[in-house]
Amino acid sequence: MNNTQLHIMKFDELCRVAELPEHYVLEIVEQGIVEPDGDSPDQWVFTTQMVSITKKAVRLHQDLDIDWPGIALAISLLDDLEQLRAENHQLKQRLNRFTAC
Amino acid sequence: MEFKDYYKILGVDASADKKAIKVAYRKLARKYHPDVSEHKDAEEKFKEVTEAYEVLYDEKKRAEYDEVRQYGSNDGGFRPPPGWRPGAERQEDFSSNSDFSDFFSSMFGHGGQQSDFGSRRRQAPKGRDIETDLPIFLEDTLSAESKTISYTIPQYTADGRVTEIIKNLSVKIPAGVEAGERIRLKGQGEPGGPNGVDGDLYLRIRLVPHPLFDVEGHNLIITVPLAPWEAALGSKLAMPTLDGKITMSIPPNSQTGQRLRIRGKGLVKKLPVGERGDLFAVLKVVMPKTTNDDIKKKWQELADQAAFDPRSEWSDKL
Repeated sequence: MNNTQLHIMKFDELCRVAELPEHYVLEIVEQGIVEPDGDSPDQWVFTTQMVSITKKAVRLHQDLDIDWPGIALAISLLDDLEQLRAENHQLKQRLNRFTAC
Repeated sequence: MEFKDYYKILGVDASADKKAIKVAYRKLARKYHPDVSEHKDAEEKFKEVTEAYEVLYDEKKRAEYDEVRQYGSNDGGFRPPPGWRPGAERQEDFSSNSDFSDFFSSMFGHGGQQSDFGSRRRQAPKGRDIETDLPIFLEDTLSAESKTISYTIPQYTADGRVTEIIKNLSVKIPAGVEAGERIRLKGQGEPGGPNGVDGDLYLRIRLVPHPLFDVEGHNLIITVPLAPWEAALGSKLAMPTLDGKITMSIPPNSQTGQRLRIRGKGLVKKLPVGERGDLFAVLKVVMPKTTNDDIKKKWQELADQAAFDPRSEWSDKL
C-alpha cells in the first residue's frame, strides 16, 4: 500500500503540485504570510501547514479579489479568530465541568 | 432538474444593474467563503452565489437566463421551454471550475465533454487535493498509531462518466500530533487525467473531546471533586490519567480552584522526543446531596466552633 507521508515541500514542488503560479508564492512569502526556512527560493522548505496556508491565501486572493497585504491581514485575523474560538470553547467546557454538580 | 433563481440567490431585484450585482456578490462571497465562514453549508452557498454572479454579471448569459427564468415553476422544478436547446454544444469553457450546478451546465455547457446530467465533472489533468478531518482520541496521541480512514473519491470511467468510490487507507499517525495539524499523503487525493498526477490527501487532525480531560497546549486538566472533609483534612485518592491510574495526595486545607500539578502525565511532545506535558488536577469541593439530623448537628457544631467568615472582604461595605 502506497501511503507515503510527506512533511515538507520545496518551492518548485509547491508551485507544481499545488498548481500555484510562482509569483503568487513569492508574494505570499514576501508578505510574511508563510515563512519557510531557507534564504532563497531554491532553498525554501515549506511545512504541510505552510502549504495549506499558501493555498488558502491563493483561494482568498482569487475568489474574493483581495490584494496581498489584505490577505496577510485577513489570514492573521482568521488565525487569531480560530485560536480565540478554540480557547473560548475550552474555557466553556472547563467552566461547565466546574459548575456542574 | 432544480431551477436556480439567481436573483434570489444574490438577493437582488430582477432589474438590478451590474454594479448592484457585483456588490451583492462580493458581500455574499465574503460571508460564505469556505476559508472564512463558519456556516455549515458555506461551500455550497459559496458555489451557488459564484454561479449566480457568473450568469448575472455577463450580459449575454443574463439575457438568456432571463428568458428561461420565465419558465421556472413555483415548485422549484424546471421544465425547459418549448424549443429550448441545452447549451451543451456551445462547448464554452468556464475555467477549471467544475462545480456548477446541473441547471447551469445544461444552459451554458460545462467545458463540454458529456451531456449526461449528473456526470458533469470534468476530469482535470491533475487530480484535486482532498482535505478531510481526522478525529483522534487523546489516548491515541501518546504513541504512533495506525488508523484506517475511509473517504470518497470520484472515479472516471472510459466514457467520461463519474462515480464515487469509497477508499480505505491505513495511515500511521505519529505520536504527539496536535489539533489542527495536517498530514499530507501524496497521490491519495482525486485521480488525475491520463497524463496527469493524482491529487494529494490532507488529513486535518481533530482531537475528540474527552469525558474527563481538557487540553491546554501539551497539558491536560482534570477536575477533582472533593468532599468538604477531604479538602479540610487532606486525602489520598486514586485518580485516572490518560495511561492508567495514579495515587494523588490532596494537602490539608485545600481550596476549590486550586491546581495540583502531576508532572509528565500530559500529552506527548514532538520535541524533545519522549517528553510529555503535565496533568493539572483542579480541585472542586462539593457538598453531599443528602443529609440527616445527625449530620446537621455536626455541621452546626462546626459552624459554632470554627468562627470562620468567608465574606470578610465585604465587612466594610455592609
